[in-house]
Amino acid sequence: MKRFVITFSVVLVALFSLEMLNPVQEHLVVPFTTLLAKISATLIAPFDDGVIAYGKVLQFKDTGFAVSIEAGCNGVEATIVLIAAVVAYPASWKARSIAIVSGFFAIQALNIVRIISLFYLGDWDIDIFSWVHLYLWPSLIMLDVLVVFIVYLRYLSRDQLGAANAAAAG
Amino acid sequence: MPLPPDNNLRQFLLFAFALIIPCFALWTVAMGFIAMPAVGLADMILEFWFPAAVDGLQFQGGKAVLMTQFGELNGAPVPQEQSEYQLAFLINPGILSYSLPFYATLHFATAKDSYLNSFVTGLFVLYPLVLVGLLSLCLKELMVNLGTLFLEQPGAPNATFIALFYQLNVLIVPTVAPIVLWVWQSRDTPLLRDVLNLGAAPEEAESL
Repeated sequence: MKRFVITFSVVLVALFSLEMLNPVQEHLVVPFTTLLAKISATLIAPFDDGVIAYGKVLQFKDTGFAVSIEAGCNGVEATIVLIAAVVAYPASWKARSIAIVSGFFAIQALNIVRIISLFYLGDWDIDIFSWVHLYLWPSLIMLDVLVVFIVYLRYLSRDQLGAANAAAAG
Repeated sequence: MPLPPDNNLRQFLLFAFALIIPCFALWTVAMGFIAMPAVGLADMILEFWFPAAVDGLQFQGGKAVLMTQFGELNGAPVPQEQSEYQLAFLINPGILSYSLPFYATLHFATAKDSYLNSFVTGLFVLYPLVLVGLLSLCLKELMVNLGTLFLEQPGAPNATFIALFYQLNVLIVPTVAPIVLWVWQSRDTPLLRDVLNLGAAPEEAESL
């Protein structure tokens, strides 16, 4: 437990420091955030042709209401927390890699739901948008990280149990 | 009787999703009251730390206003005597204290023998982190809005430290700290013992 907490904290701070560097922001985080806006707009388009996306911004053509996807809203922080937790827990690098990649997609899938839901909520009621945006969705995203990590730990423990049973039977 | 392993996780998730809205709704009602002690303490610390830059952190209608010793002239921060206005920044303690309803959701969604004592202990552990987050938020506002006027103050941390301090304490700690605390407090519950492949808790094993 002690080793997990120390490794988790070190990896977390290291990845956050890395994320804050200008080249990382410029070449990785900002293009990724732009991609998220485009994916969100692409998903909305078949159901609502009144939505446009430019850069990190999603906008309604008629009301003019727009949301800009900023740092803290792109799921990168949640992914960093997941990576730190997965790296800190003892397992093979293959299992860790699978957990990180599948966890990344699980977080981003929910994050796109968050972006789209906030976009429509904001057009409807700005107070509810603020409440959900600032307080509820960050908790739900981190709950998603927790669930991904728990599922990963269950997979690991079953894998170990299976290996132990196979060894006992052999 | 402990639930079968798969049901522990399902039950936890079901209760977590059922409880999250009521917990956040209750917290919203009490948000101002909850933030008051942290705002008061942060006010004392900031005034003591930066007497020449901070005039106080005042509680105002559920939010806080960070009053500075500076004014504004032609869009730029200047010493207060050169300006007719006092620069102040709105601070939202809610973006820190939502760690409390999130923790409450996790705590009460987990099947365990007793809830109240560990919940109160958890609140006492998380509340100082709200205060640290509030200080981080104020430092970031001062740095972003006052720039070198603030960074040249005696005792002011450097910009990188403030950025990292803010990033961790405002964007990460409010969601990660409740989870870490919940894991620690729930380590002997069937849910986590199953996940960590530890088998039944000693007292449960005896009763089986």
